[in-house]
Formats: sequence, structure tokens, C-alpha cells
Amino acid sequence: MSFYTIDSLTFSFAKECKLFQNISIEIEENQHIGLIGPNGCGKTTLVKLMLGILKAKEGAIYLEGKNINDISLSKVGKTVGYVFQNPDKQLFCPTVWEQMNFSYKFGGNADQGGINDKIHYYLEVFDLMKYRDSSPLELSRGEKQRLALASVLARDVKFLILDEPTTGLDILRKKQLEKCLMTLKEEGKGYMIISHEGKFLTSFVDKLLTLGPKGVESN
Amino acid sequence: MKKFDPRTRIIIVFLISSAALMIRQLAPLLSLLLLTLILCKLFSIPLLGSIKKLKKLWYFFFVLALVQSIFTSGGETLVSIGSFRLLTTLGLQSGISIITRMSIIIYSALIIASAPPLEIVYGLIAMKLPYEIAFMVLLAMKFLPLIKEEFSDSIIAVQLAGADLDKIPMKRKLSLYTYILTPSVIKALHRARYISLSMECRGFRAYPSRTNYCKLKMKRADYMAMLATAVCLLIITV
Ligand SMILES: Nc1ncnc2c1ncn2[C@@H]1O[C@H](COP(=O)(O)OP(=O)(O)O)[C@@H](O)[C@H]1O
Ligand SMILES: [Mg+2]
Repeated sequence: MSFYTIDSLTFSFAKECKLFQNISIEIEENQHIGLIGPNGCGKTTLVKLMLGILKAKEGAIYLEGKNINDISLSKVGKTVGYVFQNPDKQLFCPTVWEQMNFSYKFGGNADQGGINDKIHYYLEVFDLMKYRDSSPLELSRGEKQRLALASVLARDVKFLILDEPTTGLDILRKKQLEKCLMTLKEEGKGYMIISHEGKFLTSFVDKLLTLGPKGVESN
Repeated sequence: MKKFDPRTRIIIVFLISSAALMIRQLAPLLSLLLLTLILCKLFSIPLLGSIKKLKKLWYFFFVLALVQSIFTSGGETLVSIGSFRLLTTLGLQSGISIITRMSIIIYSALIIASAPPLEIVYGLIAMKLPYEIAFMVLLAMKFLPLIKEEFSDSIIAVQLAGADLDKIPMKRKLSLYTYILTPSVIKALHRARYISLSMECRGFRAYPSRTNYCKLKMKRADYMAMLATAVCLLIITV
């Protein structure tokens, strides 16, 4: 049984024109997938379907063998970490530190040891320590992106989905992200990256999928 | 379907809602509701669809009407517990008229709400309202959905961060809601500020008047619709 099974998925926002048709993908828990496609071809929409934010009308998506529609959003969130394309949508806490700490505070596993160290570590990696008490909304676009990445990486999830994670990152921070991806690989964790940067993708994924209106092709 | 001038919509809604507030008897109110529904059909507004969309609102009005009917006394007793008169004919009447009045106002508001917002703004400007105020009305109409959108986005983000809203206790849930409400409002305010900035960049308020491409023109159908509404209102009230 695969970690993710996407079975002949068809989706459309408006009735007349289908965004994509007959998508079928199998993803293993420790696989590293890259997803590419032109702007507006529905990559973000596919990810939203995979998380259960949007509901599919035709076809089905299974996460660890269970239909995604039968799992609550918070359960999905505990298994799969998602970095939104737009970090504004992801950041909702009053301070940077609370944003990092949120999943532990409200997610149930608060008594786990070493949380503070972990949060410290990722704030240092993405150079956000100086902002720990300021509001995430006051950060610049690139800093928001870094915080969004850090808050997901600091969590203990089995699989990560990164929606255009390199947007707004400078060269130095992109290197840091690459280091984090390497660590994830070493830990045997899987991820899926949506990106337009071919060079970045090819060195960090094993399998590249191209999304088009007729389905996905692997190359 | 003919396209009506936004001014027609505004005038008709103004006539109907002021009539709804003035009429006190039940029978004319009911005929006014009928007239409103016919007008909604004329403006091709789906009646059943809007009932479903405003479900919570109807629920609230129903409770309001129930309270009103219980606390208005007079007329003959319909239901009583012991010597306490629970429901009287007069109470029932006032309850029904509340629901009717609210329905009239909501359905007539839909006549405006179903038009493109910018068109309504042009209509208001053509009716000699200063354009600053007309645009402010538009922004005010757009602002509430903005907060709602930001809030529901935050709710999704909260759940994906692992918080189970169905399982955590009520008190904690309330604190969580207030926790994310502030950033949502701030985000909405940010967006509103950008809207006002970009409006100013395009010369908003630089001159006392503003021209636009869209030329409004009243057609015969518009005058007919307004006249018909006015005549019907006269017949109903007299
Ligand atoms: N909530 C929505 N309602 C209607 N259309 C939408 C919505 N969200 C996205 N779309 C449309 O779906 C298409 C795919 O969007 P998206 O998945 O964000 O593309 P991308 O591949 O660039 O991430 C776009 O054409 C967009 O306009
Ligand atoms: Mg996208």
C-alpha cells in the first residue's frame, strides 16, 4: 500500500472547463517527488485536494489507505506538513515564536521533550531568532516564507509538501533550505516539491512529474 | 433577459423597503412580499438558492418572531399553560409580520446585491451622490467578506497545523478563536490599506469629479419597471 494514492482524479472549479483530468499518482512515504507545470495549471489545487482542503468530485485520494474525505483536516495535518504557496495564508499567530510553537501547544503532544531546542534550531537555521517576539505579519515576503518553512520543518510529520518554497528566498537561504532537504532525506522522510527551478529540483528529487490538463507524465 | 439600469434597482429597493417599514397591517405586508418575490424573479435571482444561502439568518428571524409572538398579548388566546396565555392571535400576527417584513427587506436587498458592485457605484454617482462616498459604500460592502475570508483561511491553517477544532474543549476553542481573530482582522486591514493606496495612485480624489467609461442610460424597460412597482405599492397601501 502506497502512502498517497491518487486514483483517476478529475477536478474543475467551473462546471464547463476541467482543470485536470484523470490524474493517477502513487507516492511512497520515503519518496522525493518534484511537480512542475506552467502557471495556473492546477498544481496548488492538486495539493489542496491531496490535503482535503478541497473536495474532489470524481476520483479519490487515499492517505495511508484511508479516503482523504474521511480524515479530519487536523489528522491530515499531523501526518503531512504543508508549506502554503502564499505564506500570508499560513501565518496566523501573534508572534513568530508562538507560530513555531503552535502545533505543540494545540496539537496535543505538548509534553514531548526538546521542543524548545528544536524551535531554536530552526529559527537559527532560517535566521529568524531576532524576530522571535515580533508579529509574523510585519516580516518581509522572504522572511515570511522562511518562517512558513521553519514552522513546518520543526514539526514531526511523515511527509512534507512544499508549494514553491524557493519564491522570495535569497541564495543564502536557498542553500539553508537545501541543507534541510538533505537532512530530511537522511532521516528517510519523503517530500513533494512544487517549483519552477529545474536545477533546484533535479538535485533533490528522485521523480519529476509534469502536470497537464490531460493528466500527469513522469520524466 | 434585459439588463436593467442600476438606478432602477436602487429606486425600486428604496421604495419597497420604505414601504415595508411603514405598513403595519399584515395583509398588505403579505402582498408586498409577493410583489418583492415577483420582482426578484424579474431580476432573475434564484429564490430557493438564496433561502439556502441565508439559512442561519432565517433561523435567527424565526427565533425573533417566536419571542415576539409570545411576548405580545391581546386578542384571543390560542395556547395557554394554566392561567398563563402563551400565544394569542395578536402575538401570532405580530410574529408573522416580523418574518414577512424581514423577508421583504432581505429579498429586496438581493436585487441590489445581485448586480455587479461597480455598477451600483456608477448608479449612485449618477444619482448625484459624491463619488468618494459611493466608492466608500462599495469598499464597506467588500470589507466584511474580506474578514470572513481571512478568518476561514486561518481556520484551515490552524487545522493543518494539527489543532483538532472538534476535540479541544470549548474554553480552549474560544481562546483559540480570539487568538487568530486579531491577525485575521489585521490582514484584512492590510489589504484594505493597499486598496486605498492603489486607488490614490490612480488619482482618486485628485479632482472633484471623476469620469468613467461606463455610460448609464435609462431605457423604457427601466421606467416601466419603476412605474409598475410604484403603482403596485399604491394599490397595496391604499
Ligand atoms: N478558488 C478558486 N475559484 C476558482 N478558480 C480558482 C480558484 N483557485 C484557483 N483557481 C483557478 O484554477 C487555476 C489553477 O490554479 P492553481 O492551482 O493555483 O495554479 P498553479 O498551478 O499555478 O498553482 C487557475 O487558473 C486559477 O485561476
Ligand atoms: Mg500554485
